[in-house]
Parts: sequence; structure tokens; C-alpha cells
Amino acid sequence: MEEIKFIVKLAGVPIGVTALYGSTRTFCGEYLTEEAPAFSVCVAPGDIDKERQKADSAHHYSNAYLETLALYRKIAAGLLDYDTLLFHGSVIAVDNSAYLFTAKSGTGKSTHTRLWRELFGVRAVMVNDDKPLLRVTEHGATAYGTPWNGKHRLSTNIAVPLKAVCILERDETNHIAPVTAREAWPMLMQQSIRPADPVRLKQVMCLIDGLSANVKLYRLGCNMDPSAAEAAYQGMQ
Amino acid sequence: MKLKKEFITHESDGEQILVSSDTRAFSGLVRSNSTAAFIVNRLKSETTIGQIVDEMAKEYDAPRAVMEQDVKKIVEQLASIGAIEGELR
Repeated sequence: MEEIKFIVKLAGVPIGVTALYGSTRTFCGEYLTEEAPAFSVCVAPGDIDKERQKADSAHHYSNAYLETLALYRKIAAGLLDYDTLLFHGSVIAVDNSAYLFTAKSGTGKSTHTRLWRELFGVRAVMVNDDKPLLRVTEHGATAYGTPWNGKHRLSTNIAVPLKAVCILERDETNHIAPVTAREAWPMLMQQSIRPADPVRLKQVMCLIDGLSANVKLYRLGCNMDPSAAEAAYQGMQ
Repeated sequence: MKLKKEFITHESDGEQILVSSDTRAFSGLVRSNSTAAFIVNRLKSETTIGQIVDEMAKEYDAPRAVMEQDVKKIVEQLASIGAIEGELR
């Protein structure tokens, strides 16, 4: 099998990629660059097998799809050296401030950010609907679009200052309140990439400390009425 | 007995957090106060309940029987989440 080589720029970092499937290059299309890579990763057939073992066995996934997962796992591990964290959530920007909604799959993150797009129209830009990258510094965090953007393929190749992280829960009424770093920590950990390498895992936990200390944190209970978006937005101003 | 290598500790805001790198085995998070953290830290290398109590006695001013109960309780809790390898003794 012929190797596919390209350079992808994610969270401002050019990364050299050696892959097995041409579709992976196409998948990264908008993020390809000619810049010199800061580090490189290589996907081997064994990595694809590992992803298949991790994936839901009830579904059949193509090797090409599993390669995109294996690639992101490797890239995300390398990006920890650049204080950048792969996080599971839906990020939307309004007036150049990004809001990250996180919850377990199926809770309604994507539904909620769709309500924001309906409320704010052209003022709202989807940064990433599923697996954004977050660069964490002592002054706050920046959210980045990536090609790994969920089933609706919603993302934009932009960097936006992260104003808040909001833990989303379904409820009959809409209500939002700040939460402490300690309260948010378990959810932030659960929604972050979990490397098998202990050193990498430590890096993740340090980045969660930075994220929770430097970005505002909220818990939102919400229904699927359009008013949920207004309540969430107002609660985070 | 000792803590399995997949279990990683992290100090966050004055508390010790314990997680597993293998979420299929344990996907939660354990928060430990300073006494429990002392015990977890001893378990990072091969040890016994008796040895941990000996080391606690140097640090803490409490009856040995009480410390032994504390150590047993923490070790059992860790074992219940699959964090301990080797014989519990």
C-alpha cells in the first residue's frame, strides 16, 4: 500500500502526517499547509485495528474512517506538548467569543448550538461541533476548528478566545449557574482525550487545571425551546 | 500489593485526583484527602498494609489500630475499582 504524506495545520501547529488512505488527506483538506512540520505522526495498519477494537462493535466502520480516528488520537497526543487539549463538545462563537457546550453523547450539545445559530443568525459561527482543540494558557484558552467536526460536519478553520465552558444537562426548564473548578473537574476530565501513556495523561490533567482556572465555568439545564439559547447566552454575559 | 500502573495521580488545588488511563477498566475519578493520598502514594511501589502503617506512624499521631483500619479501608476501596495488583495484605 502506498503511503500518503501531507502536512496539516491544527491549532496553529503544522503537523506532518503519513497515512494509508487518500481519503484522510481529503478529510483534512481545509487544514492542509506547506509549512515545515513542528512534529510528525504516522498511522500504521495496527493503529486502525486498535480503533476498531475501541469502536462500538455493533457498527461496521471502514478502515478509511478508522484511520481518521487513529490519526487524531496521535495528533492530539503530540499537541499536548503545545498546551493544546482535544476536548469533546460543541463550540460556537458569537461576536468573536467562543462558548463550549459539553455533555455526554446524546444529551443535546449540537441541538443547543443549533438553537444559538437560529437565535444569532450571522453573528454566530460554528467553531467545531464535536472535537475542537483548546489551547490553554495562564490568560485563558483559545478554541480552534478542526476537520473532526461531528456528523453534521460543522466547523470553521478559525481561532476564537474561549469565553466559557458550559456543562449541558437536559431539563424541563432553562436555568444556568456558575460552577467551581472543583465541581466541573470530573466532567472536564471525562470529556478530554484520555491517552494511554501516563506522561501524556498527566499533561491532560495539568491542562484541565489551567482550563478550569482561567475560563468561566457554568452548568446549564435546558430544554429544546428556542428560549434555551437566550437563557444560556444571557447567563454567561 | 501495589497500585496498577494505569492509575495515575495528579495534585489539583490541594487534593489528589486518581484516574485510570484505561477507561474501559475504570472511567471515574477518585478524590483523596491528605491521609488517603499518603496511602495512595505509598502504594506506588510494592508494599504491605503493615509497612504503610509503619510509615504513617512517623507522620501522624494516631493509635496504630485506627491507622490500620484506615489503610485497610482505603486499600479495599482501591481494590474495588480494580486499582490494586497483588495480594491485599
